[in-house]
Amino acid sequence: MTADFVSRLPNDIGGAEAGSIVQVDHVLEPWEKRCHALADVLDFKKIINTEEKRKGVEALGADLIGKLPYYERWIVTFANILFTKGLLTPTELAEKMAEVEARFAAEAG
Amino acid sequence: MSEHDHPHEPITSDSKPSYYEIMETAVRELLIGKGLITANEIRHQIEVLDSRTPALGARVVAKAWSDPTFRERLLADGRAACEELGITFYDDTQLIVLENTETVHNLIVCTLCSCYPRPVLGLPPDWYKAKPYRARAVSEPRKVLAEFGTIIPDDVEIRVSDSTAVIRYLVLPRRPQGTEGWSEDELAAIVTRDAMIGVIPVTVAERAAS
Repeated sequence: MTADFVSRLPNDIGGAEAGSIVQVDHVLEPWEKRCHALADVLDFKKIINTEEKRKGVEALGADLIGKLPYYERWIVTFANILFTKGLLTPTELAEKMAEVEARFAAEAG
Repeated sequence: MSEHDHPHEPITSDSKPSYYEIMETAVRELLIGKGLITANEIRHQIEVLDSRTPALGARVVAKAWSDPTFRERLLADGRAACEELGITFYDDTQLIVLENTETVHNLIVCTLCSCYPRPVLGLPPDWYKAKPYRARAVSEPRKVLAEFGTIIPDDVEIRVSDSTAVIRYLVLPRRPQGTEGWSEDELAAIVTRDAMIGVIPVTVAERAAS
């Protein structure tokens, strides 16, 4: 049983057992579309390519991958990769997030 | 215009921005502040994403059905043939076009994540990115197709192509009977996203719904 964990990373689900296909779709939230555009721009600028992104999602681990929706996985992955590459620091991001949250709250009145 | 419909009504949302939306905004603004990306690049890419829909892929399919020499070029080099029609490839991927025939039915998937021919189809539907389709398309494609209402005869081979970061696939569906003499626009109108993924055939009945 543990051999499955060793031989298969969390994204490697081809051939795994799974339930019925539910033909769901949704219109992207504005932030989800911005997140997708960010991914594309990071790729064009040779900052994070598609393969790095996929491996970065893999590095979140099966538990988090299972719990986070698609674009949530992406943005957390981008932050982790940017930390690893020394382009952002966790402190910078935490401070900026606090600033953004306060700004959103002020805008919402 | 009623007073409830005022153009200066502030844009409000019932729920607070999520932790992840705040993170997206923070990451983007930090990268812009450092000069690594620009706000205009994000804005422009959102426009590009909005410009890509299955209608582009449908034009490609209709052209291939109508023009045998274009079909040859499309099957030889999918990306170059799409670029002939003015469809640019913004994501540095190659495109392999898989032709359905009397004896072969093609299906595309990305088992590892969500790779998809975005330049010609736009963004994939959620079910394409979810576990059941990714897991089962490669091991029991006939059952998967049946869940979409598509029954492929046992004597027709099913080929499943698994996309990668740099190689993407598009299915060239079979042209339905009863479309002889149709214009490219009429043909394009019956070609759907799901037919170009390979989970359903193109049918003439689609015309009424389109």
